[in-house]
Amino acid sequence: MAEDLVLDTAIRDWVLIPLSVVMVLIGILRYFVSKLMRSSQVPDPKIVKEGQVIVRARNLRAGANFIPPKSFRSRRVYFSNEENGLLFVPKGQAQNAQAQMFSDPNMAMDMMKKNLSMIIPQTLTFAWVNFFFSGFVAAKIPFPLTQRFRSMLQNGIDLSTVDVSYVSSRSWYFLNLFGLRGLFSLILGEENAMDDTQRMMQMSGFGFDPAKSLSAEKDGLDIIQHEWALPKFEHRAEEVLKKLIR
Amino acid sequence: MAGHSDSSSSEKKSGEAMTDVPTFSAENLQNNMKVIYYSRTFMSITGGVIAGIFGFTGFVGFIFYFLVMTITSIGLIAKAKFSVHSYFDSWNRIILDGLMGGLMSFVLFWTFAYDIVHIF
Repeated sequence: MAEDLVLDTAIRDWVLIPLSVVMVLIGILRYFVSKLMRSSQVPDPKIVKEGQVIVRARNLRAGANFIPPKSFRSRRVYFSNEENGLLFVPKGQAQNAQAQMFSDPNMAMDMMKKNLSMIIPQTLTFAWVNFFFSGFVAAKIPFPLTQRFRSMLQNGIDLSTVDVSYVSSRSWYFLNLFGLRGLFSLILGEENAMDDTQRMMQMSGFGFDPAKSLSAEKDGLDIIQHEWALPKFEHRAEEVLKKLIR
Repeated sequence: MAGHSDSSSSEKKSGEAMTDVPTFSAENLQNNMKVIYYSRTFMSITGGVIAGIFGFTGFVGFIFYFLVMTITSIGLIAKAKFSVHSYFDSWNRIILDGLMGGLMSFVLFWTFAYDIVHIF
């Protein structure tokens, strides 16, 4: 049944465009609000130290092949030595760090703020859409879907003979939600708007950072095999210089 | 480090294949990834609007999307002067990365343009 419904121009003017505009503006607003609300925490010196040790270990891993084997090995021992190596954290201390992370009120408040600033605009907008824009056909999606999607997409429309392509404004809201991510990354610089899942994973992972990542780095460092990448560099330098002279 | 940056183009050399162990400058590689992402997003938005204006429906629209993505890939490869391995670490990056992310933006703008032009 492909009868072509002719929809009122007023729907286009007062539903589609305002909804998209509102979502773009809310995204921009959220970006600026999150920038403003980023409370300046005084970084704990111990945590910063551990973070820097991790960065050093990572650099050693990355550049391992550019230093002679003996110096690489001596650096590795410095890091992963059992007694006084920097990466070695005794088990008892590891548990402590986790508990401290969770009971720290500042950290919890920060996480809460970030989560809320993500969830609240979405909830509000969804409620607004449901309240104002329900009960009529809002748009036609250009590709056909199976009947099973009908209940999801045609929420306010109570006719069952209408083609599944004609959707309600709720599905226009969801379409906007997913599709504007790309647009936000273009207009707001790096992709910092709307990466909800990524951001939540980051936030929940932060609490466990010190203990686990230290041992992870230590394991990584132990695994690495040293391959001396520079033995032929003298030949290469010779070739490059020869080319320059000619 | 065996990578050097070419400041006149927006893509930076991130790897040298001449050494025995291929090395990559992580920062340049990341920058190149970003360039691919932005190009694909922009092209998918534009492609969506074009598809909507033309009135493609159904399957043809998706084929058009993959066509636009292929053109983007070819453009990026041409910009990298066909020596893909000195800018990226594998073929898959330049061809497959960002394909699904662009799909949602494409569908949004396709629906939008199609409705504005054809239904209303």
